[in-house]
Amino acid sequence: MSSTTTVTRPTEPSTIALPIEPLATDFAKIYIHIHPFLLLSLYIYRFDAIVGDPVSTLPTLLVGSVGLQLVYILTCLPPTTAGTKSNPPMLAKIGLKKKRTKQNEQGYGDKVIPAVLSLILTALLGVPLIYIFVVLFGGPLTTHFLHTFFCAAHIAFLAVLPLVYVFGVDSGRWRELAGLLIPLDDVVGGALGTVFGAWVGAVPIPLDWDREWQKWPVTIVTGAYGGYVMGKLLGGQILKGKVIEI
Amino acid sequence: MLPNSSSISLLISNILIPIAVLVFATGFFPYKPFIPGLATYQSLEYGDPPEAPFDKVIFMVVDALRSDFVYSVNSGFSFTQSLIRSGVALPFTAHASSPTITMPRVKAMTTGSVPSFLDVILNFAESDTTSTLAHQDTWLAQLKAKRGGRLVMYGDDTWLKLFPETFTRADGTSSFFVSDFTEVDNNVTRHVPEELNASDWNAMIMHYLGLDHIGHKAGPLSPNMIPKQVEMDRIVEQIYHAIETKSHLKSTIFILCGDHGMNDGGNHGGSGAGETSPALVFMSPKLKSIAKKKQSPTVPLSAFHYYTLVEQSDIAPTLAGLLGFPIPLNNLGVFIPDFLPLWNNGNDRVQLLLRNALQILNIVKMTFSQQAFDNPFAKLDCSDPTSSGTELACKWRRVTDIYRGMEGFKPKPESILPALTAFCKSAQSIMSSTASNYDVSRLLLGIGLAGASAAFALIHMLLDPKTITISATGTQYSLVIALYGIMMFASSYVEEEQHFWYWTTSFWFMYLGIVESRHSQTGLPKKSLGLLLFHRIVVRWNQTGQKHAGAPDIAHFLLSYPVLIWTLVISTYLTLSYFVYRDYVRRLTGDFERAMARLSVAWLSLVAIFFKFAFVARDAPELLGWFPESGVEWLLLLPLVKLARGIFAGCFFGVLWLGYWEGMHIRTGQPAALAQSLHNLLSLIILTQTRTQNIPLFFIFTVMANLIARLPLISFQRTLSIILLTHTSFFSLGNSNAISSIDLSNAYNGVSGYNVIAVGILVFISNWAGPIWWTTTSNLISNQSLALDDVRRKTKENDRRNGKNWILREREHLASLAERASDENVSPSPQEPNKTISTPQQFLFIHHVALLTFFTSVSLLAIMIACTALRTHLFIWTVFSPKYLYAMAWCMGHHIFINIGLGGLMWWVGKMDIKTKKRA
Ligand SMILES: [Zn+2]
Ligand SMILES: [Zn+2]
Repeated sequence: MSSTTTVTRPTEPSTIALPIEPLATDFAKIYIHIHPFLLLSLYIYRFDAIVGDPVSTLPTLLVGSVGLQLVYILTCLPPTTAGTKSNPPMLAKIGLKKKRTKQNEQGYGDKVIPAVLSLILTALLGVPLIYIFVVLFGGPLTTHFLHTFFCAAHIAFLAVLPLVYVFGVDSGRWRELAGLLIPLDDVVGGALGTVFGAWVGAVPIPLDWDREWQKWPVTIVTGAYGGYVMGKLLGGQILKGKVIEI
Repeated sequence: MLPNSSSISLLISNILIPIAVLVFATGFFPYKPFIPGLATYQSLEYGDPPEAPFDKVIFMVVDALRSDFVYSVNSGFSFTQSLIRSGVALPFTAHASSPTITMPRVKAMTTGSVPSFLDVILNFAESDTTSTLAHQDTWLAQLKAKRGGRLVMYGDDTWLKLFPETFTRADGTSSFFVSDFTEVDNNVTRHVPEELNASDWNAMIMHYLGLDHIGHKAGPLSPNMIPKQVEMDRIVEQIYHAIETKSHLKSTIFILCGDHGMNDGGNHGGSGAGETSPALVFMSPKLKSIAKKKQSPTVPLSAFHYYTLVEQSDIAPTLAGLLGFPIPLNNLGVFIPDFLPLWNNGNDRVQLLLRNALQILNIVKMTFSQQAFDNPFAKLDCSDPTSSGTELACKWRRVTDIYRGMEGFKPKPESILPALTAFCKSAQSIMSSTASNYDVSRLLLGIGLAGASAAFALIHMLLDPKTITISATGTQYSLVIALYGIMMFASSYVEEEQHFWYWTTSFWFMYLGIVESRHSQTGLPKKSLGLLLFHRIVVRWNQTGQKHAGAPDIAHFLLSYPVLIWTLVISTYLTLSYFVYRDYVRRLTGDFERAMARLSVAWLSLVAIFFKFAFVARDAPELLGWFPESGVEWLLLLPLVKLARGIFAGCFFGVLWLGYWEGMHIRTGQPAALAQSLHNLLSLIILTQTRTQNIPLFFIFTVMANLIARLPLISFQRTLSIILLTHTSFFSLGNSNAISSIDLSNAYNGVSGYNVIAVGILVFISNWAGPIWWTTTSNLISNQSLALDDVRRKTKENDRRNGKNWILREREHLASLAERASDENVSPSPQEPNKTISTPQQFLFIHHVALLTFFTSVSLLAIMIACTALRTHLFIWTVFSPKYLYAMAWCMGHHIFINIGLGGLMWWVGKMDIKTKKRA
């Protein structure tokens, strides 16, 4: 995949969705830039502990990361598939049972329920799915269950949680994501960056340096966090609105 | 047609590849010139050479006898250990340099020289006469030249090939089946009693293979290992007892040694501590006077390093001193100083080492041109020797200075011996590291030629811009080449190359998933997900590389469930037989003809399956534990050579018949039918050449190839798929970039006697089975994609249903396919999408070859630069030299013969199919 050869597709309203616009509040405008670096700082702060004992450190780090991610989706993201009229805001509907006209002015209470639902969906569906993909891409199957599980959990809560929050259960949007027919934005960029980073994270493992940090799954998780930040930067700022040409 | 100039540049590029490979090889593996003839004693001031304490030698080689097998607590050599304790045996660890395979090691032990890497190739082309030592100076030749010299030899026939017409009596054994632990050794042992009674020989050589076979089969911890060591120890006891009691043997030096060791997996070839540390024991009652009683069993000083460490090449000069003959001319070994006390006169000791030093000096002078070697007064700055030549000249100057200082008198042994030893030792280490022997100008010429090849391939692409498109596929293709090139400079990535291909292939399948998702009704890329799943199974089939060699994998898991493995193997054979059967029946109409086809295919398949069973009954009988014993006995009676020849002949006649039929008839049933039929017959040969536990992999490959063929891919994407899958399959079959992973078990299928070409081809097919299979998968490289058939069928279905929504979607789908087809040099007309579909999508073989050529020449260039830049590096012999050998096979064998030769044939018959279809 080449993220460098991106070009804007001719707009076909029926097939091409619009990029997700973050909420227009002052806090959102600032926090959306701070958030990836907060996450990364937290990760770097815990890095030595992760190298030393991944199985006990990764879950505690996960709590912090999920917390930050929740702050991010609650304050910065619209809890619907805003932008395409044809797709009703499913999760918001489930949570509220009534429609608001101005999505940007939803109160926090209106977002908490979709956020909680996304959290549950990510944990129940996202983590096992990512686990399967981590194994398909070469992760250990018969050993290191917990290592791989927490690795998958980190990738899922970085990449999948915001996606579930903004896409809901709209199969059309998910399908567009599968075909990469979706314009880049903060959420999609972050998700693709996480996955790509996790894949690149496998590179140092075969080197014969025999360092502790080369052990499974430290480099994968590190790649995921690095990729998340890079993806957000590229998708949310530099290449926003562009569709990756495949 | 393509413009001529671009075709010519592609042709030039491909001609340059083998030239570059060979030019670089001659500079990288220089043929070491040896001094011909037999050494004679020079006259020295010391007079006649000192009298030899021994007149006979018994040289007992136990293949792969690692040091710890003899010296450790867990050894079966209790008698040998008791000899060490009582001081009649001198134990050493003899360092064997890489490549640790039998033939170069035997060369090192007998000539005292350090064999070049070229001997590795010659080791596999065993009957090659240039590799014999018939015209070289060895301790065998010297002993034979002695008055009444007669030599006898029992065991590994490597010796008979290396020393033709040398032995008075000999009985060679060859190692066809590593499962043979007993016969190979009994063949040697049965000669021992009569030879111990005979008094006509002055050298008896024995080479036992059983212990090596046990290692290859089940590793150093195999339950068979200790009993085998005990068996070998008994023979040591028998021989030592004869030396003690029989008068004609009283002056016999008895040597027990390994030619190399083994790693934890039981294999050898590389330079791990286990592989380079064989045991070496000198035994004789006469040694009681000099050998200090040593503790035995004992613990190693470092990994596998027991007692004193000597070089394997030291055996030759030591034997020369002990038995009294001139040191072989090409020797780089140093007389082992522990034996010097056998001579009471100090001047005799000096003379031994001086003769050794003068002989080595002779070789040193051929390499280094320093004046100081000949002229003891030449100007020489020894304060800071910059080159190894100067360093050696300074060491030699110390010797000459001592003699000059004595003004004609003989120097004291204690003052001259250290100077002589210092010179010999550093000459040995400098001359053994062949760093100085590279022909750098040839290396650079090879690099230049490979660069030119890459440039011409690039020119072709620029002249014919349809070859490579600036697209996601183009980016990935370029990235694969660039990353692969960079990777060649890191030794651990070369050792673990499989990870690169597994990693890129999994990403590629994800990318194909995105492509598929765009084209599927539901958005769910089922085929690509399937590919990803099968890929995961494939990469786990065999653990390979250095780091995790021997870790649990599917193949080893299957080996412990023989019934399961046979079920999978037979299913694979039956599936393939069905394909072959279908190929014939499709072409035939008459009932009788069809019945005949059925019979012949059934017969061919039965022969193929019975060959596997009969082979396994000999090679891995443990896999037939569930089989009735009488059945196994019957299998052992089947003639393997004839069965294998039957398979090859059956496939050959099958191809002939297909060609004949296609020539006579115009109509074919299916697209690319002939190409696919040829591929199926070739698959049968490939299965014959594949290790039993790997056969089910080809079933998975078949499923994967069908999945890829049904994906809506342009030809560029198919080419990249083939590049990735050829490499992935190569490593997943258990290969690596190490010499030790070369699979020789199927090298002699259908071959009796020594036929270098046949054996070479069989070894290539069995090691490159995966790449060959994927290259000829005509589903991928042929002109017809199954995906288009699918689309056509669906369009028909939809027309019937006439649902408005469906037609709209299908139109979109077809339009996008038409867009893709424009990449394929076919003029599409978006207004008439159906026309695009019915026009056969032309697969331009030349584009395919261009992409493969560019990949091959750039990767060759990267490997050459890495080998040249790192030629003084420690890893050059262990990692980069084997890698270059593999690169040679990839470039010459795989690229030229398989990618272009066989692939071209497949494409040509595929094109015939299209023409016949058009005519029909
Ligand atoms: Zn050997
Ligand atoms: Zn061996």
